Amino acid sequence: MALDQIHKTLAAVICILCFLMGCVQAVPPDLLVALEAIDQDLIALRAPEAAPEEYGQFVRQWVSLKARVQLDDDLITWPWESSDLENELRRLYIMGERTVSQLHERQTSQHRTVQAKVARLEERLHTITSKVESIDGRILLGEKAVQTDLLVKQARSFFEQKDFQRAMQAAEKADYAFKAQALLLSQELGRYADESRIAYWQTLAKQTIDWSRIHQSTAIVVSKAERELTLYKSGRKVLSYPVRLGFNGMLEKRFQGDGATPEGRYRVTDKRGQGQTQFYRALALDYPNAEDRRRFDLAKKSGRIAPAKGIGSLIEIHGADNELLAQTLGCIMLDNPNMAVLYEGVSVGTPVTIVGALTKENTVALALSELVQRRDEI
Amino acid sequence: MLRKASLVSLCLTLVVIAGCAEPPTQQIQDAEKALKDAQESGAATYNADEYAKLEGTLAALRKEVADQDEKFTLFRDYGKAQQLSASAKADSERIKAASVEKKEEAKAAALQAQQVAEEAVKATQDLVAKAPVGKDRAAVEAIKNDVEGLKSLLKQVQASIDKEDYPAAQTQAKAIHDMSQGVSVEIQNALAKVGKGKPTKKK
Repeated sequence: MALDQIHKTLAAVICILCFLMGCVQAVPPDLLVALEAIDQDLIALRAPEAAPEEYGQFVRQWVSLKARVQLDDDLITWPWESSDLENELRRLYIMGERTVSQLHERQTSQHRTVQAKVARLEERLHTITSKVESIDGRILLGEKAVQTDLLVKQARSFFEQKDFQRAMQAAEKADYAFKAQALLLSQELGRYADESRIAYWQTLAKQTIDWSRIHQSTAIVVSKAERELTLYKSGRKVLSYPVRLGFNGMLEKRFQGDGATPEGRYRVTDKRGQGQTQFYRALALDYPNAEDRRRFDLAKKSGRIAPAKGIGSLIEIHGADNELLAQTLGCIMLDNPNMAVLYEGVSVGTPVTIVGALTKENTVALALSELVQRRDEI
Repeated sequence: MLRKASLVSLCLTLVVIAGCAEPPTQQIQDAEKALKDAQESGAATYNADEYAKLEGTLAALRKEVADQDEKFTLFRDYGKAQQLSASAKADSERIKAASVEKKEEAKAAALQAQQVAEEAVKATQDLVAKAPVGKDRAAVEAIKNDVEGLKSLLKQVQASIDKEDYPAAQTQAKAIHDMSQGVSVEIQNALAKVGKGKPTKKK
């Protein structure tokens, strides 16, 4: 009977031990669930693309430990025995949590940085576009303008897709494109900010006004930067009118069809009244004059102008056939009422001096200065 | 004598068994090749998280093999390594297939966006073709310049597709489409201002 009792007790102890051993798992399931959640958080934060190193470090350990958990499921441990695997998983959990927090912080900061950068780019694109329009630089920029526009739009698009890295890359390229635009405009229109050139233009205008005074006659001075035509009589300013220029008007005329308005000393060679011109009234100028021809021949010889290009002609001061048109092909256009007054006050032979600008603070120089300043700000 | 013979045969059996515990080299190589195939299919781009896990599995596999290699010959067991190799290979193949599918989807989306952009630029070009050729052409001269720019930008979309950078191609095409529409509106406004073409005038 006593032996039977001992056997029963021993069996009960063995059963309890077996039960205890069977219940003790090497790793608590909730720890695995928590790590799985960390992995999902990292994926949601786009860690595989945004922080491949950090994610790689986490996931390598996670996969390795998970494999060990699966492979070691037959391992029997005592309840009081510490599990190396569990310890490692806990350490990984702490590391994972830290990585999630760091990535979240980094991503928030990236979001702010890229958002600000893209918004700044868009604002600059808007400002620069209007500045470029105001100085007739759109054609001058060629494909650069649409190229820059594309990059800014790409930066916005990637930003909205939360692809901050690509958004930043596109933004950097857009920065560079802005700088290239500002540089090109400075190269082509820099003479409007060149003091010696402005002094030369001022001299040309002064000589024309002096001529008007000396000869008690009329003379016209056109400032392209200010888009203004001024009529002098006996050296005194009698009227000033706004003008519209060629579609590439701020450039110095080089060849036929370039849309530039020529600069230099000209004379009215013909007056075309009603029925003689399609532009209400017109004052024909002697473009190209000897100086224009000399410059053109030199540019052609040096290869700066293609051999097939012509020098152009038929530059006039005329009225508007279409009042809505903002630009001409290279002529100087006035509103018809102003043209009527000018036409009456001018005779054949009247000197017409067309210059780039008459002051250092001309609109082109100011626009260029702002563009360069903004270029440096970006 | 009989006992001695038994002992010798037992030892021999153990040596033979121990000699059989070789690392699953071929399986590991197959798993590594499968991972490389998955990577070449664009898994790192189109299935970045799964691919990272796959690299983790391979790392675990290498560690398991190294751990077993360090053990005394008689105690080596490459069973787990075999399991990991098989799982890595199967996962690689699955991820490769998924990546190929995702890549194809991205390609299809990029090609569609490219087509839409090309059509928009073509429509803009057609509008420009209707623009005046006389002195009123000044009104659309700057716009023509932009259309030339848009045509040139389409080449960039093709370049991105050629490089298999489909996300970039898609955003470029979308931007070109938007810009084309903007230019079209500008042309229509300009055309509304000018009448029909007037005789060409030298300038």
